[in-house]
Amino acid sequence: MEISSNGAETQPKFALPVDSEHKATEFRLFSVAAPHMRAFHLSWVSFFACFVSTFAAPPLLPIIRDNLNLTATDIGNAGIASVSGAVFARLAMGTACDLFGPRLASASLILLTAPVVFFTSIASSPVSFLLVRFFTGFSLATFVSTQFWMSSMFSAPVVGTANGVAGGWGNLGGGATQLIMPLVFGLIRDIGAVKFTAWRIAFFIPALFQTLSAFAILLFGQDLPDGNYKRLQKSGDKQKDKFSRVFYHGITNYRGWILALTYGYCFGVELTIDNIIAEYFYDRFNLKLHTAGIIAASFGLANIISRPGGGMLSDAMGKRFGMRGRLWTLWTVQTLGGVFCIILGQVGSLSASVAVMIIFSFFVQAACGLTFGVVPFVSRRSLGVISGMTGGGGNVGAVVTQLIFFKGSRYSKETGITLMGIMIICCSLPLFLIYFPQWGGMFCGPSSDKTATEEDYYMSEWSSNEKDKGLHEASLKFADNSRRERGRSVHSQTLPSNATPPANV
Amino acid sequence: MAAAPRLLLGFLLVLACFSETCFATITFSSLPRTLVVTASHPQRLLKAGEDKITVRWGLNQTLAAGTDSAYKSIKVELCYAPISQVDRAWRKTVDNLSKDKTCQFKIVKGPYTTTNQSSEWTIERDVPTATYFVRAYALDAKDNEVAYGQNTDAKKTTNLFEIQAITGRHVSLDIASVCFSAFSIVALMGFFLAEKRKGIKAQQ
Repeated sequence: MEISSNGAETQPKFALPVDSEHKATEFRLFSVAAPHMRAFHLSWVSFFACFVSTFAAPPLLPIIRDNLNLTATDIGNAGIASVSGAVFARLAMGTACDLFGPRLASASLILLTAPVVFFTSIASSPVSFLLVRFFTGFSLATFVSTQFWMSSMFSAPVVGTANGVAGGWGNLGGGATQLIMPLVFGLIRDIGAVKFTAWRIAFFIPALFQTLSAFAILLFGQDLPDGNYKRLQKSGDKQKDKFSRVFYHGITNYRGWILALTYGYCFGVELTIDNIIAEYFYDRFNLKLHTAGIIAASFGLANIISRPGGGMLSDAMGKRFGMRGRLWTLWTVQTLGGVFCIILGQVGSLSASVAVMIIFSFFVQAACGLTFGVVPFVSRRSLGVISGMTGGGGNVGAVVTQLIFFKGSRYSKETGITLMGIMIICCSLPLFLIYFPQWGGMFCGPSSDKTATEEDYYMSEWSSNEKDKGLHEASLKFADNSRRERGRSVHSQTLPSNATPPANV
Repeated sequence: MAAAPRLLLGFLLVLACFSETCFATITFSSLPRTLVVTASHPQRLLKAGEDKITVRWGLNQTLAAGTDSAYKSIKVELCYAPISQVDRAWRKTVDNLSKDKTCQFKIVKGPYTTTNQSSEWTIERDVPTATYFVRAYALDAKDNEVAYGQNTDAKKTTNLFEIQAITGRHVSLDIASVCFSAFSIVALMGFFLAEKRKGIKAQQ
């Protein structure tokens, strides 16, 4: 049977070097080796497809609003609905990942929301339009399964990078769709369809893409480096956990709530901008809709390097300075994002606006990547619930921000953007309150208490009954692997004690 | 010495006058209403793609002769009535004609003649559901608007008509949507069954 040992080991059956949990310790972008890199490519492509579907309507709105007789209020409500569906879906997805594994959870959600995208073709009124946008938005919960899957496949040195690239390249879909949908629509219309039919046919493309990506996940993906949940549970290698315990340990961890709030002011801001920026440039600078669409797309397209960059920065800071470095970098980058948001609302010329917007996009998207460099360490047992809370918090931020600043004509768009920047800065301050006894927080160092070790922190999620049954083994391995979050100078002094008991004896 | 600044001033004045003519913004409120336009249609609620509107336009005969000396061509357009512009900024009426979005569909464009003219227009299939009126602009040789006429009053409340757009839906599209959706759900259930069977096998 399996014999675990300390330190990195290269099993002949894995293409990448792995740690004791068989998570990869390296991230090789251009490999599709099973199971690690294959999982990466499957998860980012399917998440990309969901983003394309969710934001497929905005670029075609000039046609849809005439076909369905929409008013500006209808359009605004549909926009809010498109991001509000995912709030609870993300939390539910987090729990589902903990219980059933990311492969089944994400593929199920994608295949259940694909019909809604197909039904967009037969929408015929403002109400049906709002409903399809609302239910399509549920598919954005695949973000949580993406991050969960990456956190299950990749080890601490590269988990920030893996999460950042998967999340960033998925978010790319929001920008790519602003270019894809008008193109597909144009092609169909040139073939001979009437405008009001051409946009309906165009929606089949994102729907089919979504369905095919779900099939790929089911056929080629697996939950953990060692296999799928169901098989591992049946053969006894993975313990089936209880929903109530998983959920409880997730929602009682205050760090999850703080990260949910702060994520609302980097990712939530990103979603808000996706919904309003084309109109902003179109109205303020009198651009053509086509040009405004390209500028809007470039905001989302910056994700190709900005979010991964944030993840890589988190890993680099974590390597040198440990968890404290990750937290400080997150706060700094997100606050700077707020500063540039304030500036964006103030500049009056087109070229300055585009330049500031691009700088702003880098900071705000990097902050998203940095957030998910911290999330994998908040909980091991309830990783899914914490990921879901943080992800859901992102969407709540989008809903709240759009409701306060961008609904109706209370504030002009530029004032709304400036006020949003101020809110980003204020809502990033709670990061100061995050504290890990074994690693410290932004202002305080690690506790000198003897009971403040990685094992104590992660074992606190298991009752003594559960420990007797041996349910906590995976968390113990993770605790050992996470010791590098103490930072380089401390890590070299404290040699890892042999806290991992021999398994399966 | 005194001549130079005066020349410069004169040059600048001339330049200013030219720029006025070249880049003058034409406002709707500056146009005289000299044309008489009527639109007739079989019933008040019309269907896009099927029904026809007959538009007649001509110079108001009570005006002095020579009013239309600058008119070279006519442009007749379908325009949104105020009720269809509410909460829809993309159909907004703005005085500056280059930014005005009231009239978005061209009915007919042709040379101007002193006799009254008419045209029968089949409503195109991309016209949205809304309430409309008809407006004609008289254009000069440079294609600038110099006069107008419309079939409704100044407040745009009389003689309005409604057009019902096509839905754009087709039975084949509906069937395709339902089939593909059903396929997704059935495929998901199929995968679940296969997983369950694999799980039982692993246990054995």
